Amino acid sequence: MRGWIAKIARVGRVTEAAGDLPQAVADAPTGVLGTLQVRHVDAGSCNGCEVEISGAFGPVYDAERFGARLVASPRHADALLVTGVVTRNMAQPLRNTLEATPAPRVVIACGDCALNRGVFANAYGVLGAVGDVVPVDVEIPGCPPTPTQIVAALRSVTQR
Amino acid sequence: MTLTTDATPEAEQVIARHNGVGPAVAGLTTSAVGVAGVWIGLAGVLGAPRAVQIDWLVPLIGVALQLDPLGGFFIALTGAVAVPVGVYAIGYARREHLGVVPLSVLPLFVAAMLLVPAAASVSTFLLAWELMAAASLILVAAQHTRPAVGSAAVFYAVMTQLGFVAILLGLMVLSAAGGADRFADLSAVTPGARTAVFVLTLAGFGSKAGLLPLHAWLPRAHPEAPSPVSALMSAAMVNLGIYGIIRIDLQLLGPGPRWWGVTLLAIGAVSAVYGVLQASVATDLKRLLAYSTVENMGLIAVALGAATLLAASGAASAATVAMAAALLHLTGHAAFKCLGFLAAGSVLATTGLRDLDRLGGLARRMPATTILFGVAALGASGLPPGAGFVGEWLLVQSLIHATPHHTTALALATPLAVGAVALTTGLGVAAMVKAFGIGFLARPRSDAAAEAREAPTSMLTGMAAAATACVVLAVAPIVLATPLRRVLAVVPASAGADPSGLGTVLHLPGLAGSMAPGLLAVFLVVAVLAAVVASRWGSRRRPTPAMLPLWACGADDLTARMQYTATSFGEPLQRVFDDVLRPETDVEVTAFEESQYLVAKVAYRARISDVLQDLLYTPVVQAVTFCANGIRRAHTGSVHLYLTYGALGVLIVLLVAR
Repeated sequence: MRGWIAKIARVGRVTEAAGDLPQAVADAPTGVLGTLQVRHVDAGSCNGCEVEISGAFGPVYDAERFGARLVASPRHADALLVTGVVTRNMAQPLRNTLEATPAPRVVIACGDCALNRGVFANAYGVLGAVGDVVPVDVEIPGCPPTPTQIVAALRSVTQR
Repeated sequence: MTLTTDATPEAEQVIARHNGVGPAVAGLTTSAVGVAGVWIGLAGVLGAPRAVQIDWLVPLIGVALQLDPLGGFFIALTGAVAVPVGVYAIGYARREHLGVVPLSVLPLFVAAMLLVPAAASVSTFLLAWELMAAASLILVAAQHTRPAVGSAAVFYAVMTQLGFVAILLGLMVLSAAGGADRFADLSAVTPGARTAVFVLTLAGFGSKAGLLPLHAWLPRAHPEAPSPVSALMSAAMVNLGIYGIIRIDLQLLGPGPRWWGVTLLAIGAVSAVYGVLQASVATDLKRLLAYSTVENMGLIAVALGAATLLAASGAASAATVAMAAALLHLTGHAAFKCLGFLAAGSVLATTGLRDLDRLGGLARRMPATTILFGVAALGASGLPPGAGFVGEWLLVQSLIHATPHHTTALALATPLAVGAVALTTGLGVAAMVKAFGIGFLARPRSDAAAEAREAPTSMLTGMAAAATACVVLAVAPIVLATPLRRVLAVVPASAGADPSGLGTVLHLPGLAGSMAPGLLAVFLVVAVLAAVVASRWGSRRRPTPAMLPLWACGADDLTARMQYTATSFGEPLQRVFDDVLRPETDVEVTAFEESQYLVAKVAYRARISDVLQDLLYTPVVQAVTFCANGIRRAHTGSVHLYLTYGALGVLIVLLVAR
């Protein structure tokens, strides 16, 4: 036990400084008094964005201190964080997920694929970008976007 | 004797007529016999003992009957079970097309069961016992054309007759040592004979009551018998095994020594835990209920053992409480198990299914049956306000309040018994939640379950009567106070203390501790109402709810195959108790021809057999088969040889009789 207490004392704080509050792009859903609950949907991603999202919610970037939290069901969510191009198989599940998210809700498209099909533009299984299937409120460009960009986008909604 | 439906119009008329009158006559006769039983039984419990001797009925020995509080209690209990079963049987026999033979034997079976506790002599007792066994055997084999029924009936026949042999030997020893046929005339027997009688009768009565390791007929015969018969067997016939133990071992030979108590306690505890474990992993609804019977009979044996042990150790008050627990639990079990089997029967009659993995969704289709089965399941889980709670509470209280400074045996036995009872109750809740939740709630898992129809009025009436008994026993066990007091006074183990404190508020006689099941139920109802009102009040300002399809993880809709099944519900327990249950599981993965990584089909097979049955019964059956093969060599078919056997036999008789 002494080992990890000493380690905590030695390493200190690893979290990046908060930085300035970004410009608000979308209104935070009304009724959200506390944390913005985010449901992540992989619509056909290469998992690069997923790695960066897990980085954004890890101890270094720590998106939760800005009032964003990943949840396990759209029924619990205020926002959807969609990654990847929308493949044919995932188009209807994505629509169903949006349907299952209580309104008012925010859809955040994460990564170049989600915004404009990225490198998978002409692949046979691709239906379109996220915006072609469901209405998008916030966009995060990048292939993949850095955790800083993802945190900035989430802060633009939570305004903290 | 089942009538086939692919017959001529003439035969269809027969069926129609048969459906009209036969079941009604049989059912109402059964109920009438039951009512008479209740009447006679109550007269026996509350009135003065009365004896009847009918010499002409059976040559040489005659029939000796006597009504006393102990016998009267069991007569009344058996009669009370027969009343709802008789009413239920009317509708059940019409739906299931029961033949003439089972319908006419049904009232006879009840009458034979009523005769057993009334018997006042060894010969009458054995006669009644055998009548009951034969009648029940005919009823178990009612639908003997199905192979499973035939095998179960043979199994039951062998076990019940072996049990009868043990009882026969035990009572013959008792009769010879006591020097009389009538129970009342028996003189004190020698310690050796006493031990022999105890061991033999415990084996015989234990096999009838379903105590380990002689329980194996229960989970075989109960599922295959018609449901009213299962209800009668499980709620009335197994009780008579307990009656035998109380009457012969604890009353006539009682109060027993300490090791009798420890033996009963140990057998009961093992039966209870093993029964409930098998129940919690069973997927056949009636098999589950049968194992639950093993469990509850085990608990009653624990209570009887505790009463004997406590009385022998000088803790009279605790012994009285334990005996009261045994009788109360017996009554409660009769009520909820009767209801359970009847409800399972109404599911079986409309869907043809006993397999919980294929049932489900019955709450919408059969709301009344669902509620009634819920009452039974609540009783069987031993939680307040269920019919099984009061008995189990008294049992635990008697074990807790045993004063350990009396003996080491007591100090060691009671904490272990408390542990066994607690484990049993906990697992019992899991088993009953499974039976109710998987069997009746959620979505139907098969077409047959989806097309279930509610049971006809006669079946519902029978079940409602049993449910009323469950509720009364759970809320106001005070109705049993007077009969209980009279019975406790005639059993030596419990005659030491005055049980008059068992009223609306159960004050334990001579011990600290009290409980009011009625007030508890009232409190629960008020608490539930308060919670409902509070949640309505809290939600009054919320916007109107939107109706949306269920969240199916992005898929279009949920299917019935996504639900928990009884197998998956029992899987964690099966894993924990792997060593006891020894399940055989087999996972078979079939891949596509193109690639071994593309799975076409995954088949999972699990089979939980009765380990004890495999370990204990198989060697015995093999030995018997071996001996039979040896003896078969004597049957050559030669007439000369058979004549020689006859001559030799006569010679031996002449030599012996000389």
